[in-house]
Amino acid sequence: MLLEGTLARLIFAAVLIAAMAGTYRAGTSLVLARARRKGHGLSQFTPGTPGVVFFTTPDCVTCKAAQKPALLALADRLSGRVQVIEVDARDNAVLAKEWSVLSVPTTFVLDRDGRPRQVNHGYASTEKLFGQLAALGQI
Amino acid sequence: MLVPEQLGKVDHSSLRVNQAVIILALLAAFIFDLPWLAAAVALIMLVGTGIGRPGFFFVYTGLLRPTGIVKQHVLADNPEPHRFAQGFGGVVAAVSSALLFLGASAASWALVWLVIVLAALNLFVGFCAGCAVYYWLNRMQVPGFLKEPPTETFPGMRPRS
Repeated sequence: MLLEGTLARLIFAAVLIAAMAGTYRAGTSLVLARARRKGHGLSQFTPGTPGVVFFTTPDCVTCKAAQKPALLALADRLSGRVQVIEVDARDNAVLAKEWSVLSVPTTFVLDRDGRPRQVNHGYASTEKLFGQLAALGQI
Repeated sequence: MLVPEQLGKVDHSSLRVNQAVIILALLAAFIFDLPWLAAAVALIMLVGTGIGRPGFFFVYTGLLRPTGIVKQHVLADNPEPHRFAQGFGGVVAAVSSALLFLGASAASWALVWLVIVLAALNLFVGFCAGCAVYYWLNRMQVPGFLKEPPTETFPGMRPRS
């Protein structure tokens, strides 16, 4: 009886945790869908090559100390097969809002057509970004 | 009076370990039906708030940081909203524990789950709901809520620099 109760609670907890994870994934999908719907609005993007959009601000220490070097390493590793676009979220506040950027650094992985396919809130390592680009099958 | 841009240093690894322990302990309390464990978590959260530290800081400083499992992640941030958030969570957990001992099982476990969900939101998404409430009270100029969110950071979101 006690075990039954424990099992039922365990299943209940698992279902709730799965629901939370699903909600998080849905939220991420919504951010990407919103960014796609608004159009990427990036004059720097050249169609035909996947890209990474990097939202930053001049006073973001992590952006300078960690995210930028990670993106340089990514560009170096993919030598010309990825375009990295840096956007000052303060100077481009409308764009940042349309892309649901709440903090910096935030990076978006774009496919060859410029559609946002992945979003990373906070620092994203070279390996992580490489994996996300590789998952698109376009590098 | 508002005090803008006087950020302190907050070790977010310590906060995240605290959130992880709270989640695991409250999940265990729920799954194994242990009201005393929920009460103990509430007590530790409230004591931590009282002394101005994450309740389960000892797990981080005594075990995870010395062994190198978790590294420091110090950010320019306001410690006060995090203390407020923990205190708020501690009060909710304490109320749920009291209700559990009084026999109101469903409502009390729902409150425990509220604490779990908000701690998970903070741990995995980086959004501190209690901090957001603090900053909202700051905007409303409620006395005692003096700190404004760090620059370029949505109120409640974990700062990145």
